[in-house]
Amino acid sequence: MTEGSTKRSLPALSGLVAGGLVILGVALFMFVHKGLLVVAGLGTFGPGILRELGWLNDQDEFQREAAHRAGYHAYLVGGFVALLVYAALEVWEAQLQASSEWVLLVLVALWLAWLFSSLMKFWGARRTASTVLLVFGSFWAVFAIATIITEAGSVDAGDAILGVLASLGIVGPFFLLAWTAHRMPRVTGILLLVVSVVFVMAFKPGAGTQRWSTTLLTDALLIVPLAASGIALLREGAVGGQDM
Amino acid sequence: MLDGMTQQDLADRVGVTRQTILSIERGRYNPSVGLALLLAEVFDVPVEVLFEIDRENSHD
Repeated sequence: MTEGSTKRSLPALSGLVAGGLVILGVALFMFVHKGLLVVAGLGTFGPGILRELGWLNDQDEFQREAAHRAGYHAYLVGGFVALLVYAALEVWEAQLQASSEWVLLVLVALWLAWLFSSLMKFWGARRTASTVLLVFGSFWAVFAIATIITEAGSVDAGDAILGVLASLGIVGPFFLLAWTAHRMPRVTGILLLVVSVVFVMAFKPGAGTQRWSTTLLTDALLIVPLAASGIALLREGAVGGQDM
Repeated sequence: MLDGMTQQDLADRVGVTRQTILSIERGRYNPSVGLALLLAEVFDVPVEVLFEIDRENSHD
């Protein structure tokens, strides 16, 4: 059977509507009223609820199994993080500032677990890790370029060039790791875990003036995707044989 | 008869997505009995010709 096909299925209508609601909800949250974030919640959880009620039948058996598996993983990770946060707030109530960021931290943990599990099921470890690294590198590149542009007036040309080179020095390895993830999963997995540890040291909670919740949120968004990709690649390397 | 059949053609015939066919081919997904029988029907072979037990990874 051939893999190539010019016929590509469009995203399901439910996916487009859900995605539209998420974007709309986030925009309303940012520019109109914070309470309207509930619109994004409808887009995120609405289709799944309708499917479980049997009112939406837009997935085949593989997609349903992937969704149930990802949901269970999200339950395990989200539940565990929620319990840790609750215990920490109970024990260090005086030191830790109560903030809605703690709830956001639980949501981020839950969402990352769901996303990563889904990608792993659909794409496998190598492609998932490679995509995570490409997205990570791209975000970092955009962030670095935006910083250089906004500071362009206040620094001279030499400093600007140095800034670009420094950014490339940080972004480059992520694109390189995206490439090696396919060819050398075990080596790439180890390197990703090393990078994760470096990030943990760099963004250590309690080290700066930031609240713990803010630092932990940053850690979750920066480190978890890299560490999870590293572990997945190591597992793939162990199951799938030797690196090339 | 099946020469030149694409994954999308097969997916359309058994009512699943191309991603599902791809995942079955790569061993990432074990289809239900119903889907396995439908696939066997398309290829006009007994189901055990298409699928065999993988005892090492049967927990997946």
